[in-house]
Amino acid sequence: MEPLDTGECETGFCAEGEIAVNIGGVRVVLFGDVLNRYPESRLAELVNCSTQNSEVISSLCDDFDPGRKEFYFDRDPDAFKCIIDVYYFDEIHIKRGICPICFIKEMEFWKIDQSVLDECCKSYLSEKEDELKEIANKVKVILEDLEVDQCITRTQRCQRFLWRLMEKPGSSLPARIIAIASFLSILVSAVVMCVGTIPELQVTDSEGKLVEHPTLEAIETACMLWFTAEYLLRLASSPNKLHFALSIMNVIDFMAIMPFYVVLSLTYLGTSSMMELANVQQAVQALRIMRIARIFKLARHSSGLQTLTYALKRSLKELGLLLMYMSVGIFVFSALAYTMEQSHPETLFRSIPQSFWWAIITMTTVGYGDIYPKTTLGKCNAAVSFLCGVIAIALPIHPIINNFVVFYNKQKVLETAAKHEVELMELKSGRDARRKKLKLVHEKRLDMCLENHYQCECR
Amino acid sequence: MIKTGLRAATSLPPDTMDIIRSKTHTRRVRLNVGGLLHEVLWRTLDRLPRTRLGKLRDCNTHDSIMEICDDYSLDNNEYFFDRHPGAFTSILNFYRTGKLHMMEEMCALSFSQELDFWGIDEIYLESCCQARYHQKKEQMNEELKREAENMREREGEEFTTTCCSEKRKKLWDLLEKPSSSFAAKILAIISILFIVLSTIALSLNTLPELQDTDEFGQATDNPQLAHVEAVCIAWFTMEYLLRFLSSPNKWKFFKGPLNIIDLLAILPYYVTIFLTESNKSVLQFQNVRRVVQIFRIMRILRILKLARHSTGLQSLGFTLRRSYNELGLLILFLAMGIMIFSSLVFFAEKDEEDTKFKSIPASFWWATITMTTVGYGDIYPKTLLGKIVGGLCCIAGVLVIALPIPIIVNNFSEFYKEQKRQEKAIKRREALERAKRNGSIVSMNIKDAFGRSVELMDVMVEQGGEQKEKVHDNHVSPNLQKGTPKLKSQTSHSSPTKTLESSYQEQAKPSSSPQHLSAQKLEEMYNKMAKTQSQPNLNSKEKGLQPSAGRQRAEFEMGNIPTEAISSTGEAVTDMRSMSSIDSFISCATDFPESSRFSHSPISNVPGRVSTNPSLEPTLENEHEGSQGTTTPLTGRGTKSSAYYDSPKGVRFNNPRRSLKVNFRDSEDSGTRAFSDSSSVQSPEVSIYTTASSRTPTKSPENLPPSIFTFHDASINKFIDADTDEEEHLHDGSGTNPSQRLLEKASPKFGHHASFQQGSNHTEGIQRKLGNSTLPLEGQENHVAQELQPLQGEESHSNA
Repeated sequence: MEPLDTGECETGFCAEGEIAVNIGGVRVVLFGDVLNRYPESRLAELVNCSTQNSEVISSLCDDFDPGRKEFYFDRDPDAFKCIIDVYYFDEIHIKRGICPICFIKEMEFWKIDQSVLDECCKSYLSEKEDELKEIANKVKVILEDLEVDQCITRTQRCQRFLWRLMEKPGSSLPARIIAIASFLSILVSAVVMCVGTIPELQVTDSEGKLVEHPTLEAIETACMLWFTAEYLLRLASSPNKLHFALSIMNVIDFMAIMPFYVVLSLTYLGTSSMMELANVQQAVQALRIMRIARIFKLARHSSGLQTLTYALKRSLKELGLLLMYMSVGIFVFSALAYTMEQSHPETLFRSIPQSFWWAIITMTTVGYGDIYPKTTLGKCNAAVSFLCGVIAIALPIHPIINNFVVFYNKQKVLETAAKHEVELMELKSGRDARRKKLKLVHEKRLDMCLENHYQCECR
Repeated sequence: MIKTGLRAATSLPPDTMDIIRSKTHTRRVRLNVGGLLHEVLWRTLDRLPRTRLGKLRDCNTHDSIMEICDDYSLDNNEYFFDRHPGAFTSILNFYRTGKLHMMEEMCALSFSQELDFWGIDEIYLESCCQARYHQKKEQMNEELKREAENMREREGEEFTTTCCSEKRKKLWDLLEKPSSSFAAKILAIISILFIVLSTIALSLNTLPELQDTDEFGQATDNPQLAHVEAVCIAWFTMEYLLRFLSSPNKWKFFKGPLNIIDLLAILPYYVTIFLTESNKSVLQFQNVRRVVQIFRIMRILRILKLARHSTGLQSLGFTLRRSYNELGLLILFLAMGIMIFSSLVFFAEKDEEDTKFKSIPASFWWATITMTTVGYGDIYPKTLLGKIVGGLCCIAGVLVIALPIPIIVNNFSEFYKEQKRQEKAIKRREALERAKRNGSIVSMNIKDAFGRSVELMDVMVEQGGEQKEKVHDNHVSPNLQKGTPKLKSQTSHSSPTKTLESSYQEQAKPSSSPQHLSAQKLEEMYNKMAKTQSQPNLNSKEKGLQPSAGRQRAEFEMGNIPTEAISSTGEAVTDMRSMSSIDSFISCATDFPESSRFSHSPISNVPGRVSTNPSLEPTLENEHEGSQGTTTPLTGRGTKSSAYYDSPKGVRFNNPRRSLKVNFRDSEDSGTRAFSDSSSVQSPEVSIYTTASSRTPTKSPENLPPSIFTFHDASINKFIDADTDEEEHLHDGSGTNPSQRLLEKASPKFGHHASFQQGSNHTEGIQRKLGNSTLPLEGQENHVAQELQPLQGEESHSNA
């Protein structure tokens, strides 16, 4: 490899099968037999056809200098320096600094398969590609939003309008108001649920049982109606009903609404004495717990919560690890504590399953103090278990945290990147037309100049 | 390069036809960017016709080509650009593949400058690289903004308007800047001790053993401790009042968070006294007591007064303010966890008899204590289901709390680092001010509200490997530099029809006493600059004006001086000039005429350009000379230019000091003699030149005709004139500078020059100046600003 202007090798085919190429100003002399190791690559094709007609050559390279017998390629010389390695070492490493996506494009130009990329660089590449994919997804969403309403029917247009109103709080003022209202109603219903359980605020019904205050119940009903209306509107406006019904957020929504109606129907059945009253009440009690699901509805309004769920989903493995460490520790230390505390007459550790509770509380460093060891050995064991607990929690938590932080930081970046991508696309589509026009103008001007000159010379 | 140099030295610019012919005959073109050769098809460049390289294709005249590139050679079919070669690789790939990627190791800011230079919009960056680019750029912008804000704050601390400003400033320094003097340090320590003492007294006061009982049988303060309290409060009050009195901006002082804390620490005491004294006999004594208790609690706020003395506490406060998003997230997570687990445990435990989980709100407490793993043990689940929920709650709590914390921690550490760095910068600045007070640096306008961030300067200083003294030098020179041109551009902007004379006079007023350059004015200018910069059409206007202005100047020079060209000087200058710009088109448009001229430029012109380059050393000497007897301005100028030559390219700060010293001695030796007889000046001057030019790296020896070394009178005079007008003009208006007058007497050409300059001011020049002067504001590198200014000075000459 030597810079172009040294110009020492004047012949492209000085020896048999030797070829001189000029890549963006860097001149390289290559040997044909080396190039033929990858016969499908562009350079190998060039070597093989170099004796043939110029048409093939011009299709393969950008320019051919017959005097110097040099093939010119209008490509990046830096990337080529890396790519040429494949002929000698059978593997390619992406030079640090070159964007991997860009490098892949170069490899495609030289018709070299991606599989020769070395492992170390492949992971680097796949990282970038993942990122690009995510950006592409976001872009798709944005484009869908931007899409002009080409819906023919009126119902479709209505549907789209509703969809935007319900799902895109940023699209318009009413949409934002709706989002805020639904957020507030979630909060109110959660508060009502909590306040309803305070005994002082409850009233006794005809049978002497404590039930919720009527005003609280009224608020609860109102919130439920709002949730139902929201859910139904969303469902009606969604373009793909099945997809909608199965997505997590909407499952949560459904779970939040469903108990209310089930309770209603059950009480109706109970009063009409089709079922036993005690059974009904038990079922109602069980369904009350389901009300908690409404808190998860907040996730729709908070990107932080979404990030959390995403991070947890991505780090399921680490969570499993955490649970496994914990359970192993719990088993070991509860068994140890049980055996060690046996000697004490007033031991609080009556059985191993009972001492599980103690182990959990100790290992997570909560320490209620309802069960505690009394013998010296047991106390030593407790100290060790506490230390192990700290380590067992801290070790697997780190990757989870890392995942979370990465996602949290990436979110904004991806958002801007997607926006930028859309802009770029618009720009590119607009540019093509303009370029054609400019090219025409330029050619005309050059012709005119030349003509003028010839006229002058003639005179 | 060599060939082009020869062409420039010996022959006229090539004919248009030759250019067109060479362009049509070859399919490829060689681009030499900063020494790296690239070869590319013309067709490829055509893909983006509106960029710099695309325009190169359209250029068919010598002038227009020189407008675009720094040098070219038709024989080699080679065009030279004096830019960073690394960035160009990715930019050229954009032409080839249509995809703009960014080199990983490239700084985002310098890449954006390169993009501007080549006329490519940053929007074309592919998304894989775009994210990183924008992140970096935003970060940098934020930092610059903060720096500017800091500067402005410092600006506010000026004591010029009211009486006894001297004393107040001293007081202010004493109270607010513990590092400024020994006394201030002691004062700060005493203040800390008082804070600690008062808090200890406050807590001791609540010990039942130390409390007395009053007539109502209620516990009151211990009298001794009350005395301590009174003394502490008196000290705090005094401190606060003194601060308030000495503060330059009362309202700003009042608003400052630290001062609000101070006030809150003092006020409760007085309110308590007022309430108890006024209501002693009144009936609602109980109510008053309650109020007094509340105010008593507020006394705790005085512990926050420690924040004034600790950077760590300040950064903690700032971090919390900055990361309220993450804090909100943490609270949201916790709240949701508490809600869920408390309701779960309620449903699990409520059927147990004698349970403490009576309602969901009641079990909130349990959930909180469990999630934070505090675990008092006053409430704990008893059923199996409840225990399972409790176990999950523990683990979830650990997880949920741990998640957002690293983000906050990250914020904190970043800010802390930044704070540390700023502290260092402030120290450096103070040292500089001390130096200024000592008289070694005079007429410097340091309070430049838009000064570049100190960090950038530091980098440069580190490159040069200079000592501390040097640091100040580097620090000051750009400020001075920026100060004057900005002013100029402002005046010219506001009154484009005015002659330069008047504008110069305006300029002279503030610059004769640099302290008067108020921040307001500069800010005003800054706004104007921003406005002009946001006008893209200025760009096109500029381009339209280019050819005429360039030609004009070329004619003028050709007439004056025979063409003894040093291509090397031209190159040296151009490479500085092309360093960077934000609005590349403005800059390059204005720059090109220069470069085109410079390839044949007469020697006398170079000093003219050079003269405006104010590295600190020359100015320093100027002042010296002025005080000595005003006879040696000539050589002073000479040293100046040599300083310029000594420091081509990035190594600016390498050795000007050394050479300067030599020159200075020269000038002292030949002081008066030099002035009376311009021919005798030649010797030192020439020697300077020889050294200077031999150091210019781009120079090739065979290009230097011998005529350069033999200066004749005219050229030297010219050189003096050119020198003086930038700075001496300022003094001209005030008419106080004896050296100026002397100079005028001695060299009649000066007058000529001045008038010629004044008369020829027209709007184009102003506009161009405006365009130029916007650059330093936004410019990223200091030396860029320095380089650009000379051009501007040049501009005013050439308009003639």
